[in-house]
Amino acid sequence: MITVRTLESRFLDRFAGRIGFLALALAYALLVLACLASLASEGELTLGRQPLANLVKTAGEFARPSFLDAWFGNPHLEYRSDDGTLLRVENRQEVELAYLAGLGRATWTTVRIATLGSLLGALLALPLSVLTARNLAAPRALAWPAKTILDVARSIHTLVFGLVLVGIVGLGPTAGILAIALHSMGTYGKLFAEAIESLDMAAIDAVRSVGAGPVQVFFNAVWPSVLPQFVSSHLYVWEFNIRDSTILGIIGAGGLGLLISEATSLFQWGRLATVLIVIVVLVAGFDAASRRIREALL
Amino acid sequence: MSPCLTLDSLLCQAQGRTLLAIDRLTVVHGERLAIIGANGAGKSTLLRLLSGFLPPASGALEVLGRRMDSPLPPRELRALRVEVGQVMQGLHLVGRLSARENVLIGSLGRVSGWRSWLRCFPADELTRAAGALHSVGLLARADTRADRLSGGERQKVAIARLLLQRPRLILADEPTAALDPAAAAEVCRLLVAAAAEATLISVVHNPSLLPLLADRVIGLRLGRIAFDLPVAQVDERRLVDLYRPAAGDEASLRPASAAIDPPARLAALS
Repeated sequence: MITVRTLESRFLDRFAGRIGFLALALAYALLVLACLASLASEGELTLGRQPLANLVKTAGEFARPSFLDAWFGNPHLEYRSDDGTLLRVENRQEVELAYLAGLGRATWTTVRIATLGSLLGALLALPLSVLTARNLAAPRALAWPAKTILDVARSIHTLVFGLVLVGIVGLGPTAGILAIALHSMGTYGKLFAEAIESLDMAAIDAVRSVGAGPVQVFFNAVWPSVLPQFVSSHLYVWEFNIRDSTILGIIGAGGLGLLISEATSLFQWGRLATVLIVIVVLVAGFDAASRRIREALL
Repeated sequence: MSPCLTLDSLLCQAQGRTLLAIDRLTVVHGERLAIIGANGAGKSTLLRLLSGFLPPASGALEVLGRRMDSPLPPRELRALRVEVGQVMQGLHLVGRLSARENVLIGSLGRVSGWRSWLRCFPADELTRAAGALHSVGLLARADTRADRLSGGERQKVAIARLLLQRPRLILADEPTAALDPAAAAEVCRLLVAAAAEATLISVVHNPSLLPLLADRVIGLRLGRIAFDLPVAQVDERRLVDLYRPAAGDEASLRPASAAIDPPARLAALS
């Protein structure tokens, strides 16, 4: 009896980890099945009536981004009614050039929202991260609320903050800036706290051992080891926010998102393609620049 | 000769264990003292006491004319540390600052206010730092970040920092740990040169470096002074005795320590 029990426990000891993993994998598979089965039973698991035809049509329009018209558009496009009367004449080149100018202004708005929002978020997060960094051991009465604020801020999406803020401060970039700031404050707080936690204590001891005062220790040991990490996190979140703020226009914060929602509601896929190209170039350019700078810093 | 430091019936304890119990020890200015002993014999504890990072439990301790029986107030402790230079086991630099900036940290005791915050050191300190780096042979690497330097170079930067700090007492805790023999000898030579006008107390593990670093050797064993002799009188037999495992754990420790400690291995062979 005893031997059986010991054998059993030895078996469990050896396989407990794998059994646990197997159970988790099984639970995951069940969840995926449940999602698929319930969607299928509700008849929602469809691709619409003519997915292929729609795909071809949309892709065709996407393949001819509207900005090409600024050079190759018909300068004398005539709109006629069914009986052949000339309604109006449009210079496609002029119209698209005007659209491109608007696109430039929208891009600038998006950059402004992301830049100011990120900066505000970083500034808000700084004191909170000092309170939450474990190695600084701030009093629990302060650390706990700070951590809660950061967690809540991080778990609410920028878009949700934006919707609420548009109701408070009205339509416009201010709502976008505040939304970006509030959400990224949570991310900043976490990254900053980690930077502070990875502080090099040997460096601090080295400076203290020559008789330096607290302020001198801060500027000669703490600041040089923390600053590059702060700058690196800032660039990272800023880059992320450039991407995030392109969508904010959809809810009325202005910028590229406004043009996206305009183009999609009018089914102008050519214009949407133009806007998306600008977004990709903007984000990729910023990404490359920030990666360069971060690599040079670390 | 005035005493640089005196210890009298000093006791240092942590969690009920006695780390250090020294009846009497006096070091006069300008002495070269080496402390040897097995791991856990209290060598580093002694250095931490002398630099004010650890207060004694009881007894009298005086360093550079300051009584340190009870913890010093911060201002006095900093004033003491300005006069006590420290070289640790190669980790004692600000990794993100350049070699030159690490050397300039040695001048923080003299430079104060915004210049020390923004690391805009006065021109004469910059000249001195360049001179210090030159004398340890690292001027060419002055603007390399400290965490990109090799172990030997890092120790040389720490010594150059001492040259700028110009302390009256230098504490070196295994300054040659993890260095190859040639680099170790070089670092010892530079350290002694840097301590030309100061008292030098070093913790050493490699007996062959003793003649380079010290004229007087103190052997610590289980927190007590086992011997206190001129370096010429420290022979093989005393070293073997010093590194011999304590009676209680002799059986369990012998094979391992015989393999690690050079003196013990020599004894086993002879």
